Amino acid sequence: MNQKIRNFLTSNEMIVVYIIAGLAILIGSVNHAFNSISTVVNLARTMLVTLIFAMCEMLVIVSGGIDVSFPAIASLAMIATGNIMLKNGLDNVPLAFLMGAIIGGVLGTLNAVLIAVVKMPPLIATLGVSSMTSGATLAIFGAKILTVLPAKLDELYKVSLFTYTNPEGITYSLTVLFLIPIGICLLMWFLLKYTMFGRGIYATGGDIRAARIAGFNVTAIQFFVYIMSGILSGIAGITYMILMRAADPSVLMGSEMMVIAAVVMGGTRITGGHGTVLGTILGVTLISLIKNNLIMLGVPTHFQTFVIGLIMIVGTSITSLKAKHIANSAKI
Amino acid sequence: MQKITNYFKKADRIALALLIGSVLIFVLMGVTHPKFFGKSNLQSMLIQCPEYGILAFGMMIAMIAGGIDLSLVGIANLSGIVAAVLMLRMGGTNLSIGIGIVAAVLVGSLCGLFNGFIIGFLDIPAMLVTLCGLQLYSGLALIITKGPAITGLPETFSNIANGKLLGVPIGAIVFVLIAILLCYLLYYTVFGKSLYLMGTNKIASRFSGINNLRITMLTYCLSGIFGSLAGILMASHYNSAKSDYGTSYTLLTLLIVVLGGVNPNGGRGKVMGVVMSIILLQLVSSAFNILRVNAFVKTFAWGLILILVTTATYLTAQKEARD
Repeated sequence: MNQKIRNFLTSNEMIVVYIIAGLAILIGSVNHAFNSISTVVNLARTMLVTLIFAMCEMLVIVSGGIDVSFPAIASLAMIATGNIMLKNGLDNVPLAFLMGAIIGGVLGTLNAVLIAVVKMPPLIATLGVSSMTSGATLAIFGAKILTVLPAKLDELYKVSLFTYTNPEGITYSLTVLFLIPIGICLLMWFLLKYTMFGRGIYATGGDIRAARIAGFNVTAIQFFVYIMSGILSGIAGITYMILMRAADPSVLMGSEMMVIAAVVMGGTRITGGHGTVLGTILGVTLISLIKNNLIMLGVPTHFQTFVIGLIMIVGTSITSLKAKHIANSAKI
Repeated sequence: MQKITNYFKKADRIALALLIGSVLIFVLMGVTHPKFFGKSNLQSMLIQCPEYGILAFGMMIAMIAGGIDLSLVGIANLSGIVAAVLMLRMGGTNLSIGIGIVAAVLVGSLCGLFNGFIIGFLDIPAMLVTLCGLQLYSGLALIITKGPAITGLPETFSNIANGKLLGVPIGAIVFVLIAILLCYLLYYTVFGKSLYLMGTNKIASRFSGINNLRITMLTYCLSGIFGSLAGILMASHYNSAKSDYGTSYTLLTLLIVVLGGVNPNGGRGKVMGVVMSIILLQLVSSAFNILRVNAFVKTFAWGLILILVTTATYLTAQKEARD
């Protein structure tokens, strides 16, 4: 029993919880503006799209690969859907998400074919697809930012789960879009924890040959993972468009580092086979907290890139040292 | 006749294919657009290609070692900025330019050693470490510059990339020297042999008495030095230094290296193949410029070429295995 509690208290998730708590207390004591509901609402808003991205990246990393094409896929889904809907006078929320998912799914299939059939290293394959996608996005639709969205999509922005007005009269509202990442997280959690297919994803990431010998259809698993990642990226793109009330082809580019940082911070091992939904959520919370509130500590914004890089390198070193320790310890 | 066919069989097939591709583009473009043979086009090609060519060499040795170096652009920018700041602080004399360049190379080698240490000692995958490294080094660059570009560098410094020696841009001469040095290092030294062995099989190389950590650190240090040299050329070419110059070079260098026949899993790759693929890509890029193709189409084309080439390599490898 004692051992169980100790294991729980030193698990990857708990370490992230300690860091988040410490950081929150530090920021809260330096700057009292931090201690309010508005912080939570802003944090949720920042986390929203990152969380969807993190879920698809976590899935891919657990299966032993990596995906750096999701910002490009999300951008294409966002711009293409926005443009097509405006040009054809379409105005329907489910249709928008469906279109995003289809665009993402097609590109995800391309990733899957390159990785599972052609056996290309995942990083190179997804980099290539990312370059093709972003080039195509800009070449076809131009670098113009869409600021007028179809009316029903725009209205969705105003629907909120709850609103809160602070004493100064500024209203903060948590948008209904937050239900999307929650739904995706629950789905992922169920898939990874309680289905044979989900366990197969872990097995593939742990040792692809062993998984094949154990009877898992490794190719099908890889196809599923990359297509799923594409579909989720497409949905994330549409969500981002509604959240920002604009479609900007270049705003998401370069966010892959942040997402990988969040996933790795949450205890997902980059070599595959390890990772949990809860840990990923915590990792995203930590990175979003730093991103949003570093300035409250008096740290200028141009330090942000460096600080995130530093946290990543320290975080991965800790996980790796821990893994090394476990590998070297006596086995009974 | 037998001798000639034997010679062709022995020669690097990938380099040969790339050479034929280059000649084809050269002739085609030269016939349809005489401007392609113009002096200004040839010279601008020779100024552009050393920048990412040297970065590609850094990527190449990291890949031969079984890793990858995604932090090269970050190292290039950071060292370019360090050189620029030092030059401006010390008044822009010729001595200060020398000190700036030495400091830049020092910064590059330190960044590389840091990468190599984390990769070799902690056994974290090179891809993750260098991604973190990219973030760290461009973060440091951003802290130094606070965002905007550093401008007003001394004129002598900008002559390094834009100046000519006997009609050949100095950058191109540096590039050729580095290629020769790399040939020597990879084919004629113990370090080179150990590097190939370690890239092929880490465990075997450790059991044959090679200090993997030392080789890894040396490899990434060398890669970092190449990064800083490219950074100096970039700063000198643009006559300014900024934290986000050349962000598209990461993909381009990966493309060059894979196209040049370096195996992404490590252990295989030749300098000649990489040089040929640099030349081919520069020709394609110049052809696009002369044909006035949209710059975004170029990004698309790079991705497409990367995917097609790797697919083709895979298919031929499979065919050979079947035979």
